[in-house]
Amino acid sequence: MGCASALQMAEGGMKSIVLDQGDLGQGASGVNAGTLSLQIKRVKLMPYAIRGHQEWESMGDAVGFRKTGGYTLAFTDHEAELLHERMSLKAEAGAPIEFVSNSALREAEPNLADQVVAASYCAEDGYANSSLTGQFYRARLKQQGVQYREGFKLLGVEACNDGYVIRSANTTVSARKLLFSAGAWLKSLTALMGVELPVQARVNTVSVTERLPMLTRSVIGHATGLLTMKQKTNGTLLIGGGWQGRGTPEQGRGQVDTDSLRSNLALARHVLPAAENARILRSWTGFEAHVPDFYPLAGKLPGYEDVFVLGCVRGGYTIGPYIGKLMGDYILERTTELPLFDPGRSFPEVVV
Amino acid sequence: MFQLAPNHQDDIVRTSKVSFTFDGKSFLAYEGETLAAALMRAKLLHLRDAPADGAPRGVFCCMGLCQECVVQVDGKTIESCRLPVSQGLHVSSLRR
Amino acid sequence: MITDTDIAVIGAGPAGCNAALLAAEYDFSVVMLDEQVSPGGQVWRAKSPAILSAPETPESVAGESVRNAISQSNVTHLGGVRVWHIERSEDPFVIHYENAGVSCSLSCRCLVIATGARETIQPIPGWTLPGVVGMAGATSIFKQDLIPIGSKMVVSGTGPLVFFVAAEQQRLGGEVAAIVTSNTLLDWIKALPAMLLRPGLLFRGLRWITAMYVNRIPIYWGHTVTRVEGESSVSRVEFKKISKDWTPQGQPRFIECDCVSLGSGLISAFESFQLAGISLEHNSDLGGWIPKQEQDGRTNVGGCFICGDGAGIRGSLAAETHGKLAGLSAVAFLGAKINHSIVKLRREYARAASFGEAMSKLSIPRPGLTKLTTAKTVVCRCEGITRAEIEDEMNLGAQSTISVKSGVRAGMGPCGGKFCQTAITDLIAKTKSCPVSQIAPPTARPPLRPISVNTLAGDFDYSDLPISKPSPL
Repeated sequence: MGCASALQMAEGGMKSIVLDQGDLGQGASGVNAGTLSLQIKRVKLMPYAIRGHQEWESMGDAVGFRKTGGYTLAFTDHEAELLHERMSLKAEAGAPIEFVSNSALREAEPNLADQVVAASYCAEDGYANSSLTGQFYRARLKQQGVQYREGFKLLGVEACNDGYVIRSANTTVSARKLLFSAGAWLKSLTALMGVELPVQARVNTVSVTERLPMLTRSVIGHATGLLTMKQKTNGTLLIGGGWQGRGTPEQGRGQVDTDSLRSNLALARHVLPAAENARILRSWTGFEAHVPDFYPLAGKLPGYEDVFVLGCVRGGYTIGPYIGKLMGDYILERTTELPLFDPGRSFPEVVV
Repeated sequence: MFQLAPNHQDDIVRTSKVSFTFDGKSFLAYEGETLAAALMRAKLLHLRDAPADGAPRGVFCCMGLCQECVVQVDGKTIESCRLPVSQGLHVSSLRR
Repeated sequence: MITDTDIAVIGAGPAGCNAALLAAEYDFSVVMLDEQVSPGGQVWRAKSPAILSAPETPESVAGESVRNAISQSNVTHLGGVRVWHIERSEDPFVIHYENAGVSCSLSCRCLVIATGARETIQPIPGWTLPGVVGMAGATSIFKQDLIPIGSKMVVSGTGPLVFFVAAEQQRLGGEVAAIVTSNTLLDWIKALPAMLLRPGLLFRGLRWITAMYVNRIPIYWGHTVTRVEGESSVSRVEFKKISKDWTPQGQPRFIECDCVSLGSGLISAFESFQLAGISLEHNSDLGGWIPKQEQDGRTNVGGCFICGDGAGIRGSLAAETHGKLAGLSAVAFLGAKINHSIVKLRREYARAASFGEAMSKLSIPRPGLTKLTTAKTVVCRCEGITRAEIEDEMNLGAQSTISVKSGVRAGMGPCGGKFCQTAITDLIAKTKSCPVSQIAPPTARPPLRPISVNTLAGDFDYSDLPISKPSPL
């Protein structure tokens, strides 16, 4: 998101520098499952998600974009109810989602488990190769002459005449405006500005298998959201679903929780029985930030005119490149194509 | 007599031979030795084709780490350097 | 708190076995887990069940001795299991391992990690051909299966393993076409003082070398194999003289062979330490990235102790004593009163370590080594990624092991980067003009070995699926 904003600002003639405590894109977008599915987006965010998909499509091969189409599966009557209710609303919000018969599903995806009770399909769904995110944006930033620094750990911010001075252990950077787009790390960063944002981080688990013969061509989801599965062109199967690992952004990287992992993989096996002997090569976690109302933070940092915050977008991987552009426009004081989300709004009680 | 470099080949006593198949072809091995060893003895070194470029691969690290020597038995992928041969073992290669 | 065992030891090599045996003397419950069916680790690897009898070697004698000791002790040995994750929790440690296709867990109050070393091999053109094996790998086959590898072997590498491999190949009925060693006689003369600490080994080594000369097996000192050639397997190698900094130079020469054993030294198998939360530091004298350690195997993680080659390549004799020290640290942590002489053990350890370190010194990489990896040489074997592709990625800005991995998939294959990380780190360090010690290895992620979905998923009832609150609409 930060990179997309910087690029938009550059296009509008504003000079910026992108700073990241690690490598670009390694905080979240480089470590998730890469799913681009309108079926899992919130109704109100659908217009943003649709435009997000368009952004990813335009990035194309450089990010390994594939529009495979996606199915969401229900295995019980309760799940089918949930599926019908939610997908109808999402379809009304603009996503090309339709319900498919069992025979249509079987023809498209013969290796999926028999016991599917209901299924929805969205032709727009697909995935990108999340680990190529960093490389992609690095190249674009270079191309547009936008400076960036990796391994820059922000320690402090001081106001000065013209704006702000940002400090790391070794260097300082000065700027007239600041944009915090640090995802799960937003809470601790904005605290440096004296602002407390109710940012929480989920610790999502992703696993990848060795290369397998092609078993599925689409992105597969579950009515409960507890499974995402896709097989890349190289044959590896990527399994996600938001199963929770352990740890906090302040501690660095999260850890895989073995009970979570077991359930995640058991569900994957249930849905794709042919994957039972596939060997898992790697499991990891990535942080997904949100605020109590599960809508984005996108606007001015409360109490500031020249400091902005962007993050906590549920579905941030999909929507990120688009909302980043909107943020860039907002900072350039242009009208944004779609409204942003005031970080200063009041939030419901945080239920832990 | 003091032998500088003894040859102990003939002093080794092994179990009896069993037969196994590799891609349908029959081979003999001493019961309990690793598949990697049995195939090395049979001079069958090309075990697999690399997924990226199809290049021939075989046993490399000999200790279950490099995954170069993997084969398939009953649909499961296993390192041949860690697989003991038993009578009637049927092995499929991951060759193209 | 109630745990499955007091002390868990991961690794049943000289270090792990000694740690386990000593800890068991103090009446603690000890479980020792290891990938191989029988204890012994790499250096004392047991013969396969196919071997009914065979002439003894010093390694087989030492191995039998420790295997007997373990079986007669109270140590619970879990052989043939693969540890795939080490979790730190309230327990405080839980080890997850695969046993015959089933995932099991073992909680313990304290943990000794003795996972040892693996070898590193500098990528050269043709190194992926069938018939190319590691030197430590070759010794595994020799010890376990007692067969020669190929009919005609060329051995090329550093350190004492070169001679051990050649000698064993011959002892088991195979032929050695040539020994090609990066080390010069001068390198070995410099190691002589340390070798006098272990006269038995020195004598054995001299015997091997003399035998080579008597059998007219060429030894090329200060040379290295630069290329392996063949169609579907090895048919010959190219080798060259190397300069003092190991840069290949001069005219190439060739040797016909059907097997090549390569090795550029041993490195710590450090992934387990990373998962356990132990910090790593770089030490070229001890094999590169090793766990940060205090005396007697203590680490920055309370209740977690390390020993053996995993803690730094110091050889098997040092590993034995280090294991004892770590075992004592573990029981002391659990409140036992120590009645062994730690001072004496530390002295033994220091002596043994100086021998081991002198041997490791022979394999410390010199600047010319990376030149063996040409632009077209495959560096990441699993994914078939060449040096040129990695360098292109770095020119696009990838400056860390993590970003190189993300960009090109180097290190993302089944071996988990075990055989490419050293070379990739060298390339990054070269591009950034900084020391290798500043290029941290990538984040360690479970599983430590590839594990099937079935094993990890276990028995699953669909009704066990938590019906959580649906995500916000």
